[in-house]
Amino acid sequence: MKNRLKVLRAERDWTQAQLAEALDVSRQTINAIETGKFDPSLPLAFRAARLFAVPIEAIFHDEDRRSLATEIKKDTDK
Amino acid sequence: MSGILYIKTTKGDIVNQSIPRESSYQSRIRTSIMRLARWNGAWVASTALMAFGPKFLWDRALVFTLLAVGLNVAVGIGMILANKKHIIELDELQRKVYLNALAITVGVAIVASVPYSVMTTYHVIPFKAEIAHLVILMGLTFFVSILYGTWRYR
Repeated sequence: MKNRLKVLRAERDWTQAQLAEALDVSRQTINAIETGKFDPSLPLAFRAARLFAVPIEAIFHDEDRRSLATEIKKDTDK
Repeated sequence: MSGILYIKTTKGDIVNQSIPRESSYQSRIRTSIMRLARWNGAWVASTALMAFGPKFLWDRALVFTLLAVGLNVAVGIGMILANKKHIIELDELQRKVYLNALAITVGVAIVASVPYSVMTTYHVIPFKAEIAHLVILMGLTFFVSILYGTWRYR
């Protein structure tokens, strides 16, 4: 699963530690999510969405799902 | 001491939110680790009392030995509960690392203990298998597993 956590954090000029504090997790967890080593649970993903005031899919997206959607769109366009 | 975290709302307003310099998560975990360390220390001390007390402190008096055993079991239960509470306090990644380490430790203990016992029975090894060896193996396995898990998600 890909995510835009690092981009959203950088836009707000927050450190990983500040984001970790806001989401009530460790800094290591934020780092692991940002680098794609760890996928957060749904409650944590919702907390992040609430914090950044964006829909959850604006932060997290499934790569396979996106490529599937592109294929379906291509098929429909034909 | 506190810091400021600025949050942009959906309307574009910038609001600030005070945050503690040391995160509540960090202080919670520190408290939990200290509690766990106290229970582990108490368990080791009660185990030492149970193991050496009958010989060196009360000349094998049955009542005191039973009391020492009872104390060891009671402190052991406290240690288990502290461990359980610590796992609940961890965040989801650290819980995953911790539970993976526990799973590896239990697996290694089961897989290693049976052949070790058989080797003693058939005198393949020149010394008697002791439960302490298993405890040491479990401790080392858990320690290495935690280090590996932390390194993997660093």
